Amino acid sequence: MIDIKQATRKYGTKTAVDQLDLQIPRGELFACLGHNGAGKTTTIKMMVGLLQPTAGSIEIAGFDIVTATRDASLHVGYVPDEPYLYDKLSGREFLQFVADMYGLPLDVAAANIEKQIVDFGLGGFVDQLAESYSHGMKQRLVFASALLHDPELLIVDEPMVGLDPRSMRLVKDLLKKRVRRGGTVFMSTHTLAVAEEIADRIGVMSQGKIQFLGTVAELREQLSSDESLEQMFLTLTEEEPANFVS
Amino acid sequence: MATAEIQLEAPSTKNLPTTGSESRAYWMLRVRRMNTMTSHAFRAMRVQLMSITFASVVMWVGLYILFQQGFQFIHSGLIHDGMRTQFVHAIFNVFFLALTVMLMFSSAIIMYGNLFKTEEVKFLLTTPSRPERIVVHKFHEAVFFSCWGFVLLGSPMLIAYGDTALSPWYYYLLLIPFMLAFVLIPAGIGAIGCLLVVRLLPTVRLHALVILVGLVIATGLYFGWHVLAYQNRDLMTMNWFQDVLARLEYSEQRLLPSWWLSTGLLEAAHPSQSTTGRPAWLESFYFLAVLASNALLLLLVLAAVANRCFRSSFSELQGITRTKRNNRISWIDRTVAFFCRPLPPTLRMFVIKDLRLFRRDPMQWSQFAIFTSLLLLYFFNVRRFDYAGTLEQWVTVISFLNVAVVGLILSTFTTRFIFPMISLEGRRFWVLGTAPIKRDLVLWGKFWFACVGTIPPCSMLVLASDISLKIATRLPFVAAIHQVTCWMLCIGLAAMAVGFGARLPNLREPSPSKIAAGFGGTLNLVLSALYIIAVVLLTAVPCFFWTETTWLSKIEPNGSLIFGGTIGLGTPGAVIIGFSLMLVLAATATIVPLRIGIRAFRRLEF
Repeated sequence: MIDIKQATRKYGTKTAVDQLDLQIPRGELFACLGHNGAGKTTTIKMMVGLLQPTAGSIEIAGFDIVTATRDASLHVGYVPDEPYLYDKLSGREFLQFVADMYGLPLDVAAANIEKQIVDFGLGGFVDQLAESYSHGMKQRLVFASALLHDPELLIVDEPMVGLDPRSMRLVKDLLKKRVRRGGTVFMSTHTLAVAEEIADRIGVMSQGKIQFLGTVAELREQLSSDESLEQMFLTLTEEEPANFVS
Repeated sequence: MATAEIQLEAPSTKNLPTTGSESRAYWMLRVRRMNTMTSHAFRAMRVQLMSITFASVVMWVGLYILFQQGFQFIHSGLIHDGMRTQFVHAIFNVFFLALTVMLMFSSAIIMYGNLFKTEEVKFLLTTPSRPERIVVHKFHEAVFFSCWGFVLLGSPMLIAYGDTALSPWYYYLLLIPFMLAFVLIPAGIGAIGCLLVVRLLPTVRLHALVILVGLVIATGLYFGWHVLAYQNRDLMTMNWFQDVLARLEYSEQRLLPSWWLSTGLLEAAHPSQSTTGRPAWLESFYFLAVLASNALLLLLVLAAVANRCFRSSFSELQGITRTKRNNRISWIDRTVAFFCRPLPPTLRMFVIKDLRLFRRDPMQWSQFAIFTSLLLLYFFNVRRFDYAGTLEQWVTVISFLNVAVVGLILSTFTTRFIFPMISLEGRRFWVLGTAPIKRDLVLWGKFWFACVGTIPPCSMLVLASDISLKIATRLPFVAAIHQVTCWMLCIGLAAMAVGFGARLPNLREPSPSKIAAGFGGTLNLVLSALYIIAVVLLTAVPCFFWTETTWLSKIEPNGSLIFGGTIGLGTPGAVIIGFSLMLVLAATATIVPLRIGIRAFRRLEF
């Protein structure tokens, strides 16, 4: 589903993603871990067509993201870390606009919108203007819009930030359900417990490169460690936990 | 790995949205947003809506009367029909050419912000939307934002001309399609230019723009000077007429859209003077067709350029590294710190912090610089508008009007940039609120920042006006009154913006322009205007009558303006009383809003 070959992305002289090779098959929940500035968000932005690789290539569902961006984006649902909503549209109007953007026929759009409203519990506020939504409400609406066209690939950047425990549960269940249905999920997160709980494979990024790729069990094996994923992550990325307590 | 029970649709079966459905989606988006904003404005912003409508109508009617008087003046001065039309044609050419240049730049700048700096475009680029559709969508917004001024300024002029020239009904009917077709051309050129500059010169886009704007301003100043540097006082004579036409010749190039517009409109306005023998309406329609076809062609070119380079330009622009800030204290901060030495250190720190934020936001200082430059240009050329030597008689009035103009421009600045500062500070209150400082200092910091930032340029502008009008040398006492009045305006307006900004904050809104456009900002603008009018009238009226009865009566012995002298306004005592009342008003306008603001700010919960 995702085929990244030697993808490099530079910001001026700084290399954010460095010759990244990554293949993610259909039906996998992949968690991308890494410290701030490791290159996770840049990788995601390249996968959704916002940024073009300086070198290398990225294919989504068999479509090259640079030469066939629109075809590729038909198969992707994207939930950014800071989602954009039109303040002066209601949730329902926003969903309708997204359905139109993806070319859904009217009847299909109407049915999908109603389904998403039920699935994400948007009924209480979907007809209010988005400017009045809390962070959690916005996040649920953005998830609903990302899944409106029933994409095979869901790309999620930091899905748990600012969510309450109930919403986090909702998101974790949703991601697992997508994978059970044969979908693919690419998730970037700092919440290591979530990655440990739901990811099929993890990739640990540092300085634009994948430092580790495999399951949590394989990581334990590689490091010969019984420690938590957090400790293994810190070991792998050569970061010492900051000593905040004197 | 999870067991894959494949239920999702296979990739190949999905279809891209058609051009028509995409177009409909964007159209519906705009309609829905417009409906929501309109109903919200009618429901929650009635006072503001009424104020804006009232101000727009007053401005429109004022401009209409002004233009009609101007055209009547030309009508009475130039008896010959052909000569009159030729003269108006030249004026229209210059006006529309200036608009062409301004619209090109404004739409290019708006397009840059719209396409490369908004979260909406980031969102749209992740959908299967065509890049050219996104660009056209944002282009429509840019056209709207850059052209409403043209409609507000252009329509009263063109309607006033039609009324003066007794034009047929279809002249008025053709105004709308003519204006619409015309604005699309410079806006289209600006948008294409914006895309190409970002594509071809991404790293030097700012420098390229600055150089280009500099060149255009220099060219504009050259032509402006060329036209205005005309000392002949024999207005409305044949020599004068020919001289003016020769000076305006540069705007009569047949390939300029401004020429097509002015020619097409004048053909419709004067059906009896058609030069080609064809019916005037047909000739006018021909020019409309030329404008419309060029506008449509430019839209096609814009779409093609967008299709080829928008996505890659967007991507490339994200890859440009930001210049690292030098850690050293800049000379500007050092200079301000030097002049603010009498202030307590914490207050000085606030002033310098606000100054840094101000100068690192080009949106703020560029508008201030543009207004200042335009006013300077006007002040240095004010004597050139002397008609039949009447300037001397009105020199005191004009000089005070200039002070009022500086004040009015300043009030828009304080409302737009100073008023929202407290609301914006609320978003950063986690740092100020937890610091060991008194809350009052935050307000005092804003107040001093506004004073320090506005008094020097405003004072300089008023001095430029006085030098140009020779007030500074011939009536230094009046020039001194101008300066004090100007300082009082700066201090009072700063206090009002800071005080009302603290009393009526909008802590939820991150956009300063939206904060300024709210109820508090509108109220501040209205009260500021009333304050300016009161301050200027209190000093201007007695000063005018005093100079009339003393100085002007010597140089214009036949002057008939003796009314003021007869009711005691032309005495030094009246000047002193007026000046004292102005000082009392300024003190009230400074102290009362600041006290209201400080009290409200102490109670404010963030």
